[in-house]
Order: sequence, then structure tokens, then C-alpha cells
Amino acid sequence: MIGSIDYNHLIQADKVHGSLYTSEDIYADEMEKIFQNSWFYVGHESEIKEAGDFVSRDIGRSAVIMVRDKDNTVNVLVNRCSHRGNNLCNEMDGNKRNFSCLYHGWVFALNGDLLDVPYPDGFTKDKKDHGLQKLVTDSYRGFVFASFKEPTRSFDDYLGNGKKLIDRACNLSPEGEVDLTGGWVRQKFDANWKMLPENDTDGYHVNYVHQSFVQVIPSQYNEFVGGEDTNKGVIRDWGNGHTEIDFAAGYVNTLDWLGSTVEKSKSYVEKMHAAYGEEEGDRRMFDGPPHSCIFPNLFLAEMNIVIFQPTSVNSCVQWSTPMFLKGVPELNFKLLRQSEGALGPAAFLLADDATIAERAQKALQAGTPWCDLSRGIDREIVREDGVKESRMSDETSNRGFWHHYRSMMLGEK
Amino acid sequence: MSNSVAFEVTRELEAFIIQEAKYADEGQYQAWYELWADDAVYWVPLKDGDDPAHKASHLYDNYSRLTTRIKQLNTGNRFSQVPISGMRRVISNYEFFGESDDKFRVEANFYLPEYSIQSTHDFRIWSGRYTYIVSRKGDSFQIHSKKIVLVNALEPISTLSFLI
Repeated sequence: MIGSIDYNHLIQADKVHGSLYTSEDIYADEMEKIFQNSWFYVGHESEIKEAGDFVSRDIGRSAVIMVRDKDNTVNVLVNRCSHRGNNLCNEMDGNKRNFSCLYHGWVFALNGDLLDVPYPDGFTKDKKDHGLQKLVTDSYRGFVFASFKEPTRSFDDYLGNGKKLIDRACNLSPEGEVDLTGGWVRQKFDANWKMLPENDTDGYHVNYVHQSFVQVIPSQYNEFVGGEDTNKGVIRDWGNGHTEIDFAAGYVNTLDWLGSTVEKSKSYVEKMHAAYGEEEGDRRMFDGPPHSCIFPNLFLAEMNIVIFQPTSVNSCVQWSTPMFLKGVPELNFKLLRQSEGALGPAAFLLADDATIAERAQKALQAGTPWCDLSRGIDREIVREDGVKESRMSDETSNRGFWHHYRSMMLGEK
Repeated sequence: MSNSVAFEVTRELEAFIIQEAKYADEGQYQAWYELWADDAVYWVPLKDGDDPAHKASHLYDNYSRLTTRIKQLNTGNRFSQVPISGMRRVISNYEFFGESDDKFRVEANFYLPEYSIQSTHDFRIWSGRYTYIVSRKGDSFQIHSKKIVLVNALEPISTLSFLI
């Protein structure tokens, strides 16, 4: 069945077919090609600071554990006992010396090696062959990515321009690192997972879906009110499915993105100047954080980090946590409250995005609908480095997502 | 016995909380808002005992943010509550405690089936423990804080833009 899906027909330059959000066969195909055999985001090293620290994550159809080993390396292991398949670790996070199975007591090391089988006389196989399945992993500035199989593309090739986006986030810390210790809020969407990366770099919907937000809360989104020509932000397709809304051009003052000013955030400004010099520090504090999706499941959501987790063809979960900046803990309270205000089930923004996505998911079930993505196709520009840019309200980012998705599904990358 | 509350007062407190729940169920946003004191904390933690200075919550409103929340709902364009979810919550297993400063703490279990008429048209079940801190105001009470610990707070939860 899967071999017969015609992705070239379903994903065209200016439109995509509704079945991409609703077909069980396509979902099964994605779970293999995108969430098993290729790179995806798992977690951040700051979540597991000490040896034995671990976090549980669900990736595609598998549960995994990201754990820091005694030698300080980060391992990503399948959360399933190699004996009879029991879920090995039921906690979301914690610290363990090893992982032991509740079913028959098999014990595994932090690198997945099978250490002990109770009543060993009856088990004559080589323990070396019965460790936990270990994922291929790599990381960039603490952001850990993995794949269940050796991917055909190298990690550097996959991440591509995504490095610049991660740099932009980390560069806001005077120590060059982010710290994800604020806890994860998880919001359930009764909608296909792809609606999340699409919507998160869609600059067109803000004045409609978020009308009530714009009416009561002043923010960088207010420039949408004047109409398309007042939006100074830029929409960008960085290639490899990585996409962005760059708000920097729309900011008026330093620290606009923080809802703050140089006067109100003196200690942060001083630390940035000390770390990077006045000119470079000021530039970073003016431009602010990225608003960018790294294909397939990471969203650098300004001062938040977001993970997309598909759970079925018709449902997904959005994980969000505030992006603390190492070296500036005095900002944490503000970042926590901003995170709750923007993202999560009760937020001023995301609650409405979820409702719109759920309505679309329902409406796309029947018939043979097409979704138009042509907006701006004739006015976007292609830079010398191949990156596409256009007005904030154009669908350049969504076309970039789908173009890459198609090549993944066709097995081209 | 400083924390015991006279029976007649418990009846008054219960009636007040039933009124608050009715305003929330029916989307009487302004009436609900007027029950709050200006040191308000309206809070849905990820875990009971979390410190909001260090950990994110599903929702953590002070008075200013609560005011914004009500303003947003009152625009009529808060689409995740247009139309408002069908709700009739049941509150039970009340416990009443006297606090210092003439305040009362009321704890109760709740069960809230929410009919998501604006999105999936499914029932979504919400359940947990309410903890209110209230004090006398005129012939009624005002709410200083309301903490809502969901039984599934650490799990993924659906849109929570109604008043819980």
C-alpha cells in the first residue's frame, strides 16, 4: 500500500493534499522515514547534568530514555526491556545508577549494556547481545539529536543552517548556553503533528486566530494590525525543512523581544557587554531569539523550546519549556511567566492555535481537499546561498517544510 | 483548635464556591472576576509542591494576568472558547480550615466533563483537587488564591482556556 502513495502528486509547489494530515498509511510511512531512520530532536544536555540523570521521551512510536553516563557521554536508549518488552522506566525524569526491569529483574547499565539476569544458570546466551537498543546520537551546543538507524545523511548535513538558528538562541546567554530546567508543559492537540511546525512559522494567521490576543496584549505581534505592509519581519526557508519568522527587523528597541528595556534589565545588559563587548552584545540583545522550526520536531520558539510529538495520525502533543539563559538566573521568573502566557494549554496564544488545528483536522477528513500554499510564491527571493525569503505573511516557510518533507518521503534524503 | 470552622460558616463557604463554579461553568466572566482579591493567584501547577519561581505551570496568573485573561475572554474573539464549552462541574468532599489573618482554606474534589463544542465536539474529562484561600468581604467572601491540582497534571492536557 505504502509504495503506492504518490507524494509528487500530493505535494506540489503551491498546494498540498488533505490526506497528508489524515491518512493512516502516510502516518505509518512518516513514522519510519522521519521518526525512525533519520535525525530528530530528543532533548538538551542541560536536562541531565549529573551522571545517572535521565529524561523519558516519546519519539514516533517508541519510548526512549536520554541518560548521562558515568563517563559524561549522553546515551539515548530504547525504553523497552530486551527480554520481554516491558517498559523499563516509567518516570518522566530522575536519577538512576542503572535501569532494572520490574518484570523479571534484568538490569541494564546507563549505556544500555545488560549487566545482570536473575538465576543466570538458565540463560545461556551471551549478555553482550542483549543490551538495550541504542540510538545513533549527535549534538550541537547541547541540543541532542538521534536516529534509530544510521541515517543516510551526516548530522552536519542534516542540521545545515539550523546551526545558525541554534547559535542565535545560545548567543543570548553571556555563557553561550541555554538551560532547560523549567519543566515541560505538554499540550494535547487533536490534530496531525505537521500542523504544528506549519502553524508555528506561519506569519499570516496572527491577526485572525490571535485577534483577541492582539486586542488586549501589546507585543511584537501588534505590527500585524496595520496590514501586510507594516510587517517588517521576514519569513525564511533555510533549507532542509528548517523555517523561520525573523522578527528582528520589526523591533524598535533593544530587548523588545523580552518585553523589557536596557534600563529594566541592567544586570543582563552588563553581563552581555562583559562577555561579548558592547557592540556585539547590543546586536545580540536587539535581534533577540530565533522563531524557527528545525525539521522535524524542534521549535526554537523565541524564549521557549518546543518539541512536537506525533501520537497518531489525528493527534499530537506539543512540549514546551522556557529557555533559561545560563548565567542570567534573574530572568527566570519572567521567562517562566512569559512561557505560560504564550505556550501551553491555558496560554493566551496556543489555546487558540489548538482549536483552529482541531477544526481543520476534522474538516480535512472527508472528500479530496487541497490546501493552498501559493501565497508569495511570485515575490519571494532566493538568496545567493539558496535561502528563500519573503514577507512575513507569505507561505514561503510552509512551502519549505513541505518541499523537504516530500524529499524525505520519496527517500531522496 | 484554631483551624476549626463553625458549621454555619462552612455552609456559607460552600455556597460561595458553588456560586464561583456556576459563574465559571456559564462563562459569566465579569461576575467571576469580581470575586477575586487584588493579591490573586490562580494556579494550575504541573505538580503539587512545585515552586513557581523555578518551574513552569499550566497556568499561573497573578491579578494583572487574571485581568488580562478575563479581558481576552470578553473580546468575544477568544476562539478556543467561542462558543463556550459546555460545562457543569461537580464539587464534593469539602474540607474547611481556619487560616491566620481571618482567612479560610477550603479544599474540595471536582469532576468536570467539558463538552468541546468549538473544536472536536467530544467530552473532555477534568478532575482534581481545588484549594481556595478566601476571606470575608462584605456579606460574602473574596478569593485570594485558587490552586487546581489536576489528577493528570503531569500528562499532556487539552486546551484549558475556559475557567477551571
